[in-house]
Amino acid sequence: MSASPTLTIAGVTAVHGRGAQARATLAATSLDIRPGESVAVVGRSGAGKSTLADITLGLRTPAAGRVLVGGTEWCTPSGRPSRARRHLVQGVPQDPLAAFVPRWTLRRSIEQAVRRLTGEHDTESRVRRAAELAQLDLGLLDRRPTEVSGGQAQRAAIVRAIAPGPAVLVADEPTSALDAGTADAVSAALLSVTQELDISLLLVTHDPSVAERCTRTLTITAPR
Amino acid sequence: MRHRSVLGIASRLGSGIALLLVAGALPWLSQRDPAASVLRARYAELEPTPEALAAIRAELGLDGGPVVTSIRWWSGVLRGDLGTSWVSGAEIGPGAWSALGVSVTLTAFAGVVALAIAAAIVTPAVLRVLRDRPQRGSGPVGVALTALPEFLLASTLLVVVAVQLQLLPPYGWTGLHTAILPALSLGIPAGGLLGRLLADAVAGVTEERWVNVWLLAGARHGVLLVGVLRRAAAAVVDQLGLVLIGLLGGAVAVEQVFAIPGLGRYLLGAANAQDLPALQAGVLLMALAAVLVGVVAGLARRALRGGPLPPGALPPPPERRGDDRAARWTVGIALSLLLLILALGLPRDPYTLAHERLAPPSGELPFGADASGRDLLARVAHGTLGTLLPSVGIVLLAVVVALLLAVLGEIARGPAEIANATPPILAGVIIAALLGPSVGGAALAVLWVTWPPLTAHAAALIDEASAMPHIRWLPLAGVSRFEIWVRHVLPATIPPLLRHGMLRLPGVALALAALGFLGLGAQPPLPEWGLLLAEGIDYVERAPWTTVAPAVALILTSVLAVAVAGIRGNRGNGKGSRRSVAAVRAQVGSREPA
Repeated sequence: MSASPTLTIAGVTAVHGRGAQARATLAATSLDIRPGESVAVVGRSGAGKSTLADITLGLRTPAAGRVLVGGTEWCTPSGRPSRARRHLVQGVPQDPLAAFVPRWTLRRSIEQAVRRLTGEHDTESRVRRAAELAQLDLGLLDRRPTEVSGGQAQRAAIVRAIAPGPAVLVADEPTSALDAGTADAVSAALLSVTQELDISLLLVTHDPSVAERCTRTLTITAPR
Repeated sequence: MRHRSVLGIASRLGSGIALLLVAGALPWLSQRDPAASVLRARYAELEPTPEALAAIRAELGLDGGPVVTSIRWWSGVLRGDLGTSWVSGAEIGPGAWSALGVSVTLTAFAGVVALAIAAAIVTPAVLRVLRDRPQRGSGPVGVALTALPEFLLASTLLVVVAVQLQLLPPYGWTGLHTAILPALSLGIPAGGLLGRLLADAVAGVTEERWVNVWLLAGARHGVLLVGVLRRAAAAVVDQLGLVLIGLLGGAVAVEQVFAIPGLGRYLLGAANAQDLPALQAGVLLMALAAVLVGVVAGLARRALRGGPLPPGALPPPPERRGDDRAARWTVGIALSLLLLILALGLPRDPYTLAHERLAPPSGELPFGADASGRDLLARVAHGTLGTLLPSVGIVLLAVVVALLLAVLGEIARGPAEIANATPPILAGVIIAALLGPSVGGAALAVLWVTWPPLTAHAAALIDEASAMPHIRWLPLAGVSRFEIWVRHVLPATIPPLLRHGMLRLPGVALALAALGFLGLGAQPPLPEWGLLLAEGIDYVERAPWTTVAPAVALILTSVLAVAVAGIRGNRGNGKGSRRSVAAVRAQVGSREPA
């Protein structure tokens, strides 16, 4: 607990739409996550969990507040993350298909991400190590996203997320589309991987048993 | 969302003002422009480019010309005075308004026909949904109906129903019975297009997950039907206004064939007589109708989609899968027939008057001879190149323009609505009045009316592609916005857009042909489909082969275009598609001569 936080979310809010149609989708939220820690974000549907995940990923900008990664500004109302730091925050989507280009093999999507984010041309060792950690058979990477099972696709999404060497991982209900047994295994893999690699994990979940296994739980409620 | 609508309004205002100025200044812009005359007299070798004209105008002190002309005309219009005809010296107002009334009535009748046809095409697709056996695409009926040229249809109906069967009057505008044939000629192609688009949309919608969910939840058929149709209509509503405008404007040829005193015929007469005040009045009325249709289509879209949606709210329809065996066969057959015509006809001479006038088809003259005794097979073959090559160029150019303008979004809204409301023939009339009739001018006119529907479609496709989850997540992989565009959004956009463009190829070829038909495009003795049809139509009763020959080539081409586009739509979908493309390539290769 002595390390400084890798991820700091300070008073972040989100608004959807403009003008008369504007509607708050996320009440002011603050949180710190240190390396190796995992925070479960729980709350009812519509509370803004996915919005918080998107903002943390830098896919959308907050209406107010800021997100810091490693003490440096990551995502603010006026700016999205720079490309040079893009690898610092990676994500595991709810639907693993979102992490892959449908017409490419899994390997090609993963290798593109590693190459773009790290600038390294030899991606093999990173992919191999990530697949080992996520317990995914390397042979499966030569298939297309629709040619593997849901659990395998989600493990591949974890491989894709950790291969570039992120400091922060955001997982938005990564197991909601899987059966209970597979969901448990995938959650366990996700938690062990983040601990192994000292990654800060922001885990959006509906599942209390998964939330229990995280370092902390943050409950958010819908904005008024 | 607010700034987008402000942009849209600004764009419409700007283009509206530009249109008003141009419309008012038409006499000044025309060939009767003193500056143009001076240019022609003094500098015969100079092209009458805007720059050269401007120089002459400055020299002559005519700088204030267009605005003054325009303002004078508009102040007249605001007082309800449309001016006086240059030809007859009579008031323009009454004639123009009654012509508009006739055209609107005709369009309404044609609209009824179109809706009936569209319903007939969509019904099988919808019934299949209820039986949970959805089918891709709209089948050959829609293709055939879309491919029918309006003026050929009109002439055929005229000859068969009115002249030979004597069931209905051949021309005039004296009551309901005179409106039937023109309404059919106009409504059948429009209904075919609308039905095709809807059936495609229905087939796409039925692959969306919610349909299965509803089916599993035991939704009543009526409820499911309304849901599917509503979703499909939301995807097609943008095209509805275009179809309506097409009806209003495409009426020119039909009005001409049936001698109906509508707005199209009025405009054509004004253009032929160089009666620019009358032309201005027609343009003004067309513009008013267009604004009205634009507003109605906007309201319909709002009602169907419930206003502007946040990005990602409308799930992208899943990519097309499956069986293109029928399409491959169609391509093979249509292409080999067309190539046969080309192979047999190209070596022949399309210009020499070497045969008996109106000789019927025989071994020596497979398609017969035209009224001047020229070989029709040769003329059709050469006309195929003469019509198709410019058409393909226009379509490809329009796709490029559409992709560029779709990025501008609302800024292009105003010009798009004006261009939408411009029937190709009207654009052809104006351009022919400014530049003189030519193939280039006709191509320009057709391009002007081809880009807006493609732009609307491109914008929708881009929205849908950008909302796809894997494209939304690409920034996480360090892919730049530009690259997401070029490598992911555009590849998802271009195949359906090309398919749409190819669907329009027959329309484009027809628009070119229609301009040729009306004397605004290619000039005799060039072998061009429009001219061939125009030359044939006078003899359609005595020598039907004079129109059958170009018509057959035209229909073959449109069937071919649609089938090829159907195969292209499957591309990028893994192994199966590569196999099919390769198969087509093999098929094409084996049938190509030499």
